[in-house]
Amino acid sequence: MSWSWDHFMRFLFSEYMLNGVWTTIWLATLAMLIGCTLGVIIAFMKMSRNIAVRTFANTYIWLWRGTPLLVQMVIIYTVLPKVGLKLGVIESAIIALSLHEAAYFAEIVRSGILSVNKGQDDASRALGMTWAQRMRYVIVPQATRIVIPPLGNQFNLMIKTTSLASVISMEELFRRTQQLAQIEFKVLEAYMCAACWYLLMTTIWGQIQKMLEAHYDRPFGPVADAADPKSGKPLGDAAAQV
Amino acid sequence: MEKPATSPRSGRTLGPPIVICDKVVKQFGSNVVLREVSLTVRQGEVVVIAGRSGSGKSTLLRCIDHLETIEGGTINACGHLMGYRVDRLGRRTELPDRKVARQRRDMGMVFQSFNLFPHLNVLHNITLAPVRISGEEAAEAERHARELLDKVGLPDKADAYPSQLSGGQQQRVAIARALAMRPRVMLFDEPTSALDPEMISEVLDVMIGLSDGGMTMIVVTHEMGFARAAADRVLLMHGGEIVEDAPPDAFFDAPESEHTRLFLSKIL
Repeated sequence: MSWSWDHFMRFLFSEYMLNGVWTTIWLATLAMLIGCTLGVIIAFMKMSRNIAVRTFANTYIWLWRGTPLLVQMVIIYTVLPKVGLKLGVIESAIIALSLHEAAYFAEIVRSGILSVNKGQDDASRALGMTWAQRMRYVIVPQATRIVIPPLGNQFNLMIKTTSLASVISMEELFRRTQQLAQIEFKVLEAYMCAACWYLLMTTIWGQIQKMLEAHYDRPFGPVADAADPKSGKPLGDAAAQV
Repeated sequence: MEKPATSPRSGRTLGPPIVICDKVVKQFGSNVVLREVSLTVRQGEVVVIAGRSGSGKSTLLRCIDHLETIEGGTINACGHLMGYRVDRLGRRTELPDRKVARQRRDMGMVFQSFNLFPHLNVLHNITLAPVRISGEEAAEAERHARELLDKVGLPDKADAYPSQLSGGQQQRVAIARALAMRPRVMLFDEPTSALDPEMISEVLDVMIGLSDGGMTMIVVTHEMGFARAAADRVLLMHGGEIVEDAPPDAFFDAPESEHTRLFLSKIL
């Protein structure tokens, strides 16, 4: 089997494959958006005082993290129609990916919220804030920066995980690659193309993630190495004491 | 209880009782932290609570603001039965978060670890609660905040972030933040214990200023100098009970309890 640059380059920029790349991008983005929204809801349910609500959240996380996404996807696409809930390929893929993501993101959000210093909750309660006010004005703004790095990693995973949707015949990058390989009998070239495209997508996301993390990682307030105009001491010093 | 009282420190007549703890019991699991503690604080009074760590003094303060639940007794503060509703049969149920939040707005609290909001600058730390919770107008809240910053000696720090301030400065901002809600009682939970020695006095000076202004204060502290200078009464807690309750002179010079003598011999 000889490597053909000609085929490789033709596959790489073929409209057929580019469409697959685009499908992967929007599928990953949409599933991430829905998954994160649901994840936040489930995270708060897991922290609820109500035992029924908490149990629901725990069971949800247990089920979706405890079974393979591939199995979940096939069940949603093939089994649900048998009980009367008929979903198309695209809907099934979006639902499976986002419900799966929600279970993981719920744990990320919960640990982010729990990692905010207990004193912040004390102080905001002492000021007379209700639970919702404490969350909105004090806890969530601080938890956000803790959640950002794992959130970025989840999206990196999501870009690659969308390839599983090929098993229910979702026409994303991986399935298109499979089909190209079969039509032209150039397996290696086709899969190398796919690898390149996935790598490009995750690399670009990696750069965006870096920028996001840099934005959220700097200390609160102006840059810390500026000197205090009065004492001439670096302002960062005070932060180290606390 | 309603006999007129005068403060031996200032000679001022004290107002009616504003915080009344009646046989408060607090348990953490099987560990009893407060054993039927009763305490009455009058309006305008400054009460210092001392005691070893683990004696229950911070817990008592936190119970007054209902930051901790209590297992027995009642706490009445600023006219609210804190944290609970008692029905005709005497059964207690905890109030919903929303109602407790409302009760807490009449009291301000200052913590050992300052607990300023790190994501907000000093001005917004102070105006957050008045604007978002009391619905005060932003301009008015800011004017009040700047006045309070002046009062705590930090008029030029409005735009600074907590991470840019020293511990003493942070604690003074925390006091201003609590005062911004115009509380009727201020609770201080070891406000100087986390500070470097040279920063302690700047915080105590602000507190003495507050007490001179007639603020009702309950202060848990080891700073006996503050107790001498500003307190109307000094209490010693030991093993979850108040074992001494006397004006500063009597507390320091003629304590009744053996525990107080022991405590003073170690701390002075």
